[in-house]
Amino acid sequence: MNYTPKLPEHNHNVTPVSPLRELLVLLGGLLAIIVIVYLLLGLGADLLVSHISPATEQKMAAVFSSRFSPHNKPTPREKWLQSIVNTMQEKGCVDLPYQVTVQVADSKVINAVALPGGRIMVFSGLLNIIRSENEMAFILGHELGHFENRDHLRGLGRGLVFAFISTLMGSSDGSIARLVARMAQVTESGFSRSQEEAADAFGLRMMNCVYGHVGGATDFFIHMPKDLDPGHIGHYFASHPENKKRIQALLVLQQKMAYQSGPLTPLPVWQKDSEE
Amino acid sequence: MENSGEHSSVKTVSGQNIVITNVETIPGKRIVEHFGLVSGSTIRAKHIGRDLMASLKNIVGGELKGYTQLLSESRDQATRRMVRQAVDLGANAVVNVRFSTSSVAQGAAELYAYGTAVRVE
Amino acid sequence: MNDLILILALTALGYFAGTWAEKRHYRSIREREKQLLHIPAITMKDIPYPNGEIRSSRLVEGSAVISIDYFKRLLAGLRNIFGGTIISYESLLDRARREALLRMKESAPDAAVIINVRIETSAIGKYSAKRNIGCIEALAYGTAIELNKQ
Repeated sequence: MNYTPKLPEHNHNVTPVSPLRELLVLLGGLLAIIVIVYLLLGLGADLLVSHISPATEQKMAAVFSSRFSPHNKPTPREKWLQSIVNTMQEKGCVDLPYQVTVQVADSKVINAVALPGGRIMVFSGLLNIIRSENEMAFILGHELGHFENRDHLRGLGRGLVFAFISTLMGSSDGSIARLVARMAQVTESGFSRSQEEAADAFGLRMMNCVYGHVGGATDFFIHMPKDLDPGHIGHYFASHPENKKRIQALLVLQQKMAYQSGPLTPLPVWQKDSEE
Repeated sequence: MENSGEHSSVKTVSGQNIVITNVETIPGKRIVEHFGLVSGSTIRAKHIGRDLMASLKNIVGGELKGYTQLLSESRDQATRRMVRQAVDLGANAVVNVRFSTSSVAQGAAELYAYGTAVRVE
Repeated sequence: MNDLILILALTALGYFAGTWAEKRHYRSIREREKQLLHIPAITMKDIPYPNGEIRSSRLVEGSAVISIDYFKRLLAGLRNIFGGTIISYESLLDRARREALLRMKESAPDAAVIINVRIETSAIGKYSAKRNIGCIEALAYGTAIELNKQ
């Protein structure tokens, strides 16, 4: 038995495929699957939302209420915000089957959110930058728009879908899970952008209904600190459309609906004080 | 491949029969030349759905058909790769073949087959 | 946003550095395989030794631990979702085993033959069981036979 020294010409143990091509194929496939699953499940959630009665919503809201413990006594700020919302509901500008309550949360965050159970949470950071009642009314109208369109429940449904997908992917590599989370988030922001636009339009209608004009509607976007403006780079990741675009869209809508501009209602004195 | 006494054979692309055994010789034949070690390896995974099913099946126990299939597929592929290397060298048999499995990545089967490439008369 | 940039940066770094390192390693493996081609490593026990008596026989071994780069790990993770051959791990395993075999041969440069060679592979590292940390050890061992010079 002799030995014949020889080396194989080909390495059969390594598949000759460019890794970059493999990456593109895999990423493309992953993106397609995520989008499809997300769309299907998201659609399911949306369909469900139209079947959730306000009573069920209140029950669901109980879960959230425990997290945001309500104050026993509303502060003057909350009373003021509540009165704006009450006016909107009393004047019949918005037709919701329940009474919306406003709550203020101490936080530097410049935002307001619509929570299940007809609660609007306004963060004190936002109250510190507004300069007129009209400005605040637009934001509250915007949140009422979310209730009207039931976006708050939709967001919840999609959130569940999102959590499900992340859990599924969580079993594999950590960086993969992060990548998937990012992809799903981008898809999500696409949905919520159209929701924000619809809510903006609703807020404008609210203002016209309550004040008879829409002066001050775009002020909030102008007063918003520059570093919060997502700008061009963050464009796609921003769920709230770029401020300039939002202002533009509101002005176009104002012209189309022939809404008038008018004098602004100043803030209550105590609200001005708290600004300093 | 499982029975040490019998020798199985794998047909290559060119139609040549390559005998594979896990003993030192090929019973009834004489080895005239050898080419050293040849090996074939592969690492394969099942899609995430199968992984999910397997983890559910794990609760009640029993055979995980998907994984049995995965491993036998991998073993086949590893053997084929080893044989291709042997053919490249001019061998017509691979003797004393060993299989080994290792868990390199979660949910993936890593199969390695190696043996000595020989030419028999 | 930041974590996405981090993933991209690590992936790009892994791709370029990993590809470069792999090419270099393969070059070295091929070169040394040519140099050590005269020592056959075989899986058999009994072979007739050519002309001469056995001077010594001893256990020789060689091992290598090789890690995968970030890019290939990402690729493997993605492949795990779809199923199929995890191509990005193939070269890792191939390199580790060939390196281990070479080191085994290098530890017996005067051997005429290394018999009964066995190769073991195992995944090592703290996270290897839980996560897709591609860090594998290949161990090759056998009995080196040295012959008296004629």
